[in-house]
Amino acid sequence: MRIGVMVCHCGNNIAATVDCEAVAAAAREFPDVVYATDHMYACSDPGQGTIEKTIRELKLDGVVVASCSPRMHEVTFRRAVERAGLNRYMFEMANIREHVAWISLDRKRNTEKAIDLVRMAVEKLRYDRPLTAKSFEVQKRVLIIGAGVAGIQAALDCAEGGLDVVLVERKQSIGGVMSKLDKTFPTVDCSVCVLGPKMVDVGQHPRITLHALSEVEELSGYVGNFEVKIRKKTPFVDWTKCTGCGACLEKCPSRKVRDGHNEGICTTTAINIPFPQAIPKRAAIDATVCLRFTKGKCGVCQKICPADAVDYDLKDEVVTEKVGAVIAATGLDLFDHTKCGEYGGGRYPDVITSLQYERMLSASGPTAGHIKRPSDGREPKTVVFIACVGSRDRSVDRPYCSNFCCMYTAKQAILTRDHIPDSRAYVFYMDIRATGKGYEEFVRRAQEEYDVQYVRGRVAQIYPSTGPDGDQLVVRGADTLLGAQVEIKADLVVLAVGAESAKGAGALAEKLRISYDAYGFFLESHPKLRPVETNTVGVFLAGACQAPKDIPASVAQASAAAGKVLALLSKDKLESDPQIAQVQTIRCIGCGKCERTCPFGAIRMRELRDGSKRAEVVETVCQGCGICSVTCPVRAIQLAHFTDSQLLAEVNALCRTWDENTES
Amino acid sequence: MASDPFATGAASRMETLRSKIAQELANVDFVLGYGRGFDPLHATPVTVRNEKDLDRLIFDATCVQNLATSLYGLRGKRLGVVVKGCDSRSIVQLLQERLWERENLVIFGLPCEGVLDLAKLRASMDIASVKEARVEGSPRDGLLRLKLAGDGGERVRDIETRGLLADKCLRCQHPNPLVYDHLIGPEIAPQGAEDDYADLAALEKLSTQERFDFWKRQMGRCIRCYACRNACPLCVCKHVCLADSREPHWLSAEATLQEKWLFQVMHALHLAGRCTECGECQRSCPMGIPILLLKRMMNRELKELFNYQAGVNLDAVPPLHTFLMEEDRIKDRGLLW
Repeated sequence: MRIGVMVCHCGNNIAATVDCEAVAAAAREFPDVVYATDHMYACSDPGQGTIEKTIRELKLDGVVVASCSPRMHEVTFRRAVERAGLNRYMFEMANIREHVAWISLDRKRNTEKAIDLVRMAVEKLRYDRPLTAKSFEVQKRVLIIGAGVAGIQAALDCAEGGLDVVLVERKQSIGGVMSKLDKTFPTVDCSVCVLGPKMVDVGQHPRITLHALSEVEELSGYVGNFEVKIRKKTPFVDWTKCTGCGACLEKCPSRKVRDGHNEGICTTTAINIPFPQAIPKRAAIDATVCLRFTKGKCGVCQKICPADAVDYDLKDEVVTEKVGAVIAATGLDLFDHTKCGEYGGGRYPDVITSLQYERMLSASGPTAGHIKRPSDGREPKTVVFIACVGSRDRSVDRPYCSNFCCMYTAKQAILTRDHIPDSRAYVFYMDIRATGKGYEEFVRRAQEEYDVQYVRGRVAQIYPSTGPDGDQLVVRGADTLLGAQVEIKADLVVLAVGAESAKGAGALAEKLRISYDAYGFFLESHPKLRPVETNTVGVFLAGACQAPKDIPASVAQASAAAGKVLALLSKDKLESDPQIAQVQTIRCIGCGKCERTCPFGAIRMRELRDGSKRAEVVETVCQGCGICSVTCPVRAIQLAHFTDSQLLAEVNALCRTWDENTES
Repeated sequence: MASDPFATGAASRMETLRSKIAQELANVDFVLGYGRGFDPLHATPVTVRNEKDLDRLIFDATCVQNLATSLYGLRGKRLGVVVKGCDSRSIVQLLQERLWERENLVIFGLPCEGVLDLAKLRASMDIASVKEARVEGSPRDGLLRLKLAGDGGERVRDIETRGLLADKCLRCQHPNPLVYDHLIGPEIAPQGAEDDYADLAALEKLSTQERFDFWKRQMGRCIRCYACRNACPLCVCKHVCLADSREPHWLSAEATLQEKWLFQVMHALHLAGRCTECGECQRSCPMGIPILLLKRMMNRELKELFNYQAGVNLDAVPPLHTFLMEEDRIKDRGLLW
């Protein structure tokens, strides 16, 4: 075998702490290495050119590049060796940047380690075999999970791009958090007025199949050919008949039901349509509170329904859809402020969340846009906003910034002054984070034009005031700019609660086989270069399920994800990764342990003519994780490109020193 | 039918065993049992194919072998097998791993009070001089009465069996077979001490270097005869064992310490969560290398990580033979952050 080695300086990234020339010189002594050199930037055009030229001139069989992480440039170099006529898997990468240069300043030992890593790569390459990808057909359909603004945008973009879209929404209507908002910053335009038309488009688009009140139960398959099981929860109303007339709502006797769309500031009925613009505008019964289901009595809605749509015997339905790609757009939930004793822990009715306040501000909300104190219905004259409730707070395990609270707090303060001109608005804040387009100017407007009082400091305590103003709340906090304690008597306190991952996000991530962080936000493949991809090929992210995001960022990421899906599914056939498990039938003893341990269901047992069983890998399903390989007692399963012999060759290359110093 | 004067327990137990096997002979190809070996202290596996063979059967404290070892190589047959409590765990494990079909197996379970470790006897005498041997009373607290041939004619020597019991019997928790079709004789109470892994603790008291030296010394004596592998009831790779494989090429034929050691480590790792500590590997080692320590080390880890003991529950799924997103006692997610 003829092997070429290139050691990359990566500018000064590597060369500053690794003697690249010495590494190349050492590599020349390794078995089968016929050429070794160093280069300023191996990934640059001249660098790749040198690789190609050397392969051709020296008739190389394989190439080792010692440079950065394979996550960074493996694909780049594989393409280069392929252009020069080699199989793209006759290439190995030694990571001497992240694994060597960036973690130590000791030049001598760094150089030794780099030499070790190159030796390992060369030894592995000696066992490399050409591998060929297989191609398979794809489903030109996309599953989008969650129909908030991100899911809606992604669905419309994909549908406009010619893909069939399966849109799954857990709630009864699409729209997500944005449908609950009154106005949006920094333009102060009506939220549902801009979202509503998009929701209608989703409902009417011939390419979009909407499953509302549904959840993804199981996802199997692989990129291009996923199969998803969707549980459509029964609304106890036949949605093909229901016209959304709302007659049932008016007659329903069970009227004390918490109104989820209005964040619980008012009640609703057991059979319900969440809001006027709901898509689909269909009624659904909450069986946990409906008298028919809890007491066995009633049945008014069934009698009253002019379309004869109510059917108490309807059952959940599980539908199966085939899709080629998945976009997760499950959004966010809000921090539960009752965990914070200093803000009353939920005991004071006049301490409310920002989203509850939003519903109050909304013209279509329960107060028709009038701000009223929940305790007595009086119009508040002093409103205190507290920022960072459940954000940037390690004591409640929420160390991250929720991204948009500074901005919506400024908006709500402005709207407060708009709605009640003789009111005072105070904002307790830690820092103002207003980095978007027009954001800083917006906060300035709140402070300067609307005279909102910004107090820099944390609130230590909220307690009911005693004395003549006994119905007020005392907000006691620090003003760190004045270096003084402040106490404000407030009629209403609005907590700018931070963002949390959506409930059940972790469980969904596991169904989708994508990673999530300690807080339940889904992990992107690379924070900068692959921000909408996940590490599971064919699964993409949009919106706040990845991290707290405001509307513009969610919409941008949704369109980005849609673009990725459109590009992916623009091909009729996809290539499968050949770095997968391979069964050596002659070694297999048919014990089936691989079948039981495979997390992807990629192994099945095949019966031979003599009736004995052997394992078989479903090539397109296998993700190449290697669990079967290590489980197999007889090593009958080898991971292509990472065979036992290759790993052993690497270990032996690394353990040479041990070898030499140990007597036999 | 000759009665065996050296059998432990009542002679009626042997009668029961013989009659039960006789009953089943028509249903099986043959039955694996114990017979007298080349001297009074050794038993040997025998196959019982007909009524005549029944006379060769014995069962006493010399029946050290784990007959389940032979099972995997006899797949496809319908077999009867005689097992002690500890041996039955190997069968449980084989069944769990679907390496045998329960319906093709007739198990004759014998509650067992312990077997002798001849290595312990050998330490104090030349066992070649033993002409007759008999255990008086229970192996747990009885006497081993030996008739020895010597220059001055025959003499009798009594040795307390307690000191000769195999280590595994001293900590035995399963004297009664866990899976059987016929239970021969009454069940007996476990008397073994709770396993505190004192042997491992003693080894771990040594410094890393001392332990390294210990294993270097022990592994250096390995002659790579693979008796340990061949005696293991769960070493099922047979002709495709990695030790003999050239692709993948885990081991070379070189007789280096490294190769010997790697083989033993591989053997231990392949038994992680599977080994029932029957001790056959160590018993069969002609060099007396304490290789069971490695397996016990793995088992202790398995117990801590998965609260799992191999071969005691037919319905359990061995922890390394399944895939869970999240393990109770392994917090891999926390490490990331």
